[in-house]
Amino acid sequence: MSFRRISVLLGKEFIHGPKNFIFIWAIVAPIGFTLVATLAFGTFFSEKPNLGIIDQGHSQLVVMSQELDSVTIKEYETVSELKQATENGAVDMGIVLPEDFDTFITQGETVVIEAYIWGESLAKNRTILLVTISDLVRELGVQEVPIEIESVTLGDEVSIPWSERLMPFLVLMGVFFGGLMLPSTSLIEEKQKKTLEALVITPATIGDIFIAKGILGIVLSVFMGIAILVLNQAFGAQPLLLVLVLFLGAIMAVEFGLICGALIKDITTLFTVWKSGGIFLFAPVFIYMFPQIPEWIGRIFPTYYVIQPVVELSLRGGGWPDIAVNVFILISLNIILAGVVMFTTRKSLRHAV
Amino acid sequence: MNLGVIKALVAKDFSLFFRNRFYTLITVLGIVFYLIIYFVMPSSVDEELKIGLYAPVIPPVFELIQAEEGLKFEIFDSDEALKEAITDRAYEAGVALPADIMEKFASGQKPRITLYFSADAPDEIKDAVETMVRELAYLQTGQTLAIEVSAEILGRDMLGEQIPIRDRLRLLLAIMLIMFEMMGLASLISEEVEQGTIRALLVTPMSVHDLFAAKLIMGVSLAFTQGVLFLAIVGGLNNQPLIILTALLLGSVMFTGTGFLIASLSKDMMTSMGWGISALLIYSIPAFGIVFPGTITDWAKAIPSYYLADTIHQASNFSAGWGDTWLNLLILLGFNLIIVWGGIMALRRKFQ
Repeated sequence: MSFRRISVLLGKEFIHGPKNFIFIWAIVAPIGFTLVATLAFGTFFSEKPNLGIIDQGHSQLVVMSQELDSVTIKEYETVSELKQATENGAVDMGIVLPEDFDTFITQGETVVIEAYIWGESLAKNRTILLVTISDLVRELGVQEVPIEIESVTLGDEVSIPWSERLMPFLVLMGVFFGGLMLPSTSLIEEKQKKTLEALVITPATIGDIFIAKGILGIVLSVFMGIAILVLNQAFGAQPLLLVLVLFLGAIMAVEFGLICGALIKDITTLFTVWKSGGIFLFAPVFIYMFPQIPEWIGRIFPTYYVIQPVVELSLRGGGWPDIAVNVFILISLNIILAGVVMFTTRKSLRHAV
Repeated sequence: MNLGVIKALVAKDFSLFFRNRFYTLITVLGIVFYLIIYFVMPSSVDEELKIGLYAPVIPPVFELIQAEEGLKFEIFDSDEALKEAITDRAYEAGVALPADIMEKFASGQKPRITLYFSADAPDEIKDAVETMVRELAYLQTGQTLAIEVSAEILGRDMLGEQIPIRDRLRLLLAIMLIMFEMMGLASLISEEVEQGTIRALLVTPMSVHDLFAAKLIMGVSLAFTQGVLFLAIVGGLNNQPLIILTALLLGSVMFTGTGFLIASLSKDMMTSMGWGISALLIYSIPAFGIVFPGTITDWAKAIPSYYLADTIHQASNFSAGWGDTWLNLLILLGFNLIIVWGGIMALRRKFQ
């Protein structure tokens, strides 16, 4: 193994790598997924009903409603826009507040409000929205609240919003998409174009080639892991420890990528492996998405030992004692995978020469 | 066109596919994993807000509200039992009314009502329950509301028959499953072009038409079979199976035609993957919009896969018949004719 040769090869990878489709996708896909998933899952699993409002005057009810935690408010300009949004399910209910609405309410006159209800809206959402509108109108009409309310919280479990539940998936996607696919596609392409054969007859060894490709994968993988955490504002209080875990995760991703690159002959097969095996890699994220799934199931999968420390450090405010055991397991897995990579490297060499 | 040649080519492609145990295993595993995703998703929709109530004296308005859809009050014998149920998260919230609530209302005093929430109850639930209890108190004390709501339901009223998350998701999973075959086919053709086997085949008595017919049959069969198998297992064919099968077949042809077009645009496997993923993302937008209502608007109708996704959604989840779906199927058929013809022409130009 020669550091000079590795650095020459690495330079070549850094120059030609970014022109590769996978390189671009390794950056675009996780960021795109972060934006789409946050939007989609935030909508889908959110308990909050959505209320669309057209305010034909300048009602205080709109301002008051925007301060509520129990509903999401969206404002519309025209009735047709409101009806369209209701029909599409963008809002559960749409209401039209007529001009001088506030004046009528304060004078105690009865006002008719037009309301549009999305057919697929849940019964509880409809009830919550109607009750909320009534409550706001009473507040606007300065009706005195006839009770005192005391809220008591029982138990010590904390609610986990979907944006946080999804974070492990997004981080794993960021780390593994580039880390696994970049070295594997690069190796397969070189095998298909016979450039690997050309390289191994130079003084560069197959090990040098694998290491150069692996380093590029690790750099991209760590960069994407950090980018996803920054985008999700989940960098936590232990950034250095978090970067260390991402680095170890990136090594695992790259090792899987090198094994695939060494064993797989063509991109179609690699893609088929990603299509099915990818779900195997991403299995532990379901533990975080659905906390009712027992955590021990996640421990079966190697990527659990990447994602558990990331979640502990970034979302749960944990420190080294909370992740130490899993980090050591991750290091052990990386060492075992390194052995498999070395074995497959020799196999690649036999095929290349 | 020579049927014998087409048959031989299809048989060759299938035998190559299934001879490769890895391909076979991975394809089966792919379906299994999609099935697992389907089955771990919630199978029912909880439409009601379940609230525990401890009330030595139940105010009449609380009894009336029981009839209201979307709310379910369960009466508890003691405050302790209510607290235990909330701690166990059997209910979303608990309401404890004081024994002298009616006397206090009558004398114009403000009774103190205690609300219990589990620690993981979302803020929106806490806020909603507080609002609801306040509204009930207003009603109980006879304070009139200065509004009348004139409501109109838009779309089919699904109250009591909501579609579970997994039944919305199965559409996306089925379409993703068959769309991946589009990329597989494009890669396969690109590989044959790259390795020169297509040119070798074209110097035999086989015509270009035979070659495309064989590839079309191969692509459509693989995509269609996987889609049908998946939907059959997850119960997606229980309603209007003929319409869904027709839509799946047209969808498979659409993705295969797109596969041809991608192969014609691609210089190598990597470019084919690049175009393939881009097409896959665009095609998946309408299904995504159905799974997550409200995320996309009418512009999605410009994407042909909308008519596939909408047909399967309408037929499997709402039992829509031929009368409701014929236009979607016709648009799909028209688009298929264009995309398959375009794909074949583009590939022919590439070979020649």
